[in-house]
Amino acid sequence: MHAVNERELVERCRSGDDGAFQELIDQYKDLVFALIARTVQDSSRAEDLAQEVFLRIHRGLPYFRGEARLSTWIYRIVANVCVQEQARPRAAAPSVSLDDERVSAHVTPSAADRQFGDLELRDRLEKAIARLPANYRLLIAAHYLDGVLYEDLADALQLPLGTVKTQLFRAKQQLRRLLETDLK
Amino acid sequence: MFCDEALDAVEPIAAGELTPDGRIADHLATCPNCAAALDSAKRLEGMLRARPVPRPTAQFTARTIARVRRARWRTEQFLDVGFNVAMIAIVVAVVGGIWMLLHRSGLSVVSTDAMDLFSTGMMTMVRRVAPSLPLYGAATAVLATALVLWWWAERDAAL
Repeated sequence: MHAVNERELVERCRSGDDGAFQELIDQYKDLVFALIARTVQDSSRAEDLAQEVFLRIHRGLPYFRGEARLSTWIYRIVANVCVQEQARPRAAAPSVSLDDERVSAHVTPSAADRQFGDLELRDRLEKAIARLPANYRLLIAAHYLDGVLYEDLADALQLPLGTVKTQLFRAKQQLRRLLETDLK
Repeated sequence: MFCDEALDAVEPIAAGELTPDGRIADHLATCPNCAAALDSAKRLEGMLRARPVPRPTAQFTARTIARVRRARWRTEQFLDVGFNVAMIAIVVAVVGGIWMLLHRSGLSVVSTDAMDLFSTGMMTMVRRVAPSLPLYGAATAVLATALVLWWWAERDAAL
């Protein structure tokens, strides 16, 4: 999204234009939802949390100074919501067994998966990702979405660019280790 | 070259962000462990790129807008109640303050006399005006009719 259009959209939202805010939701909903659904372990909470992100955006727009890009600010809100969700007390510990059949049930097989026999591996990948710490999960989720750059993540997480890259590589190392040991 | 150094480079190489230079390339070609790690990292990279992207439901925007409106309405209600309570508190404080002031300065007796004088004056005025009330009523009705006619004519002209 161009900076001028972005500023104009923000101004329209600030002036109370509901249509503009709807436009903003349509613009970012796929990204926000995908990030959250990939990061939180409870997939049934994803929509609720994505709505919470837009609610915070709506509340925060009057204070958005435009120093960062709108998308960066939105990533930051998503990161905060995910961290808070992680800190939320739950009835049961969020441990995921690698042999848990219920976890494998939510992965919908596609024809291509069946063709290449990847389904089991992908299922194990999802389980391994669920075992990563929340910040690593968020990095993995965001990095493999179209249009999300290292710079966006660094700005959103308020970390140096090098740290983001290092953390991402560590996350992948940990993931590989999980797939090679526990998942074999 | 130690394996540790090569293994640190495996992830960036698999992601296509680092081209192995001569030393690392040589090591990867000769060390089966590091070559296997690179192979595994490349497979993981492919799997991560092929991960399905979750999509929100078709009603997501409508539901979110409804939630935002509910939240805004609640905030407005809260502000309204807060404003009303504040206004009542201010009125009570002002009236209480004036009463305290009059009471302490002994002016409350004077103010009672002033109220008596005011109410007597009002009663006298009402008694004098009462015979002319039909006349005033008729004049007001004529004025109101004229205003309505003027508004109606203006509206037709605008259309």
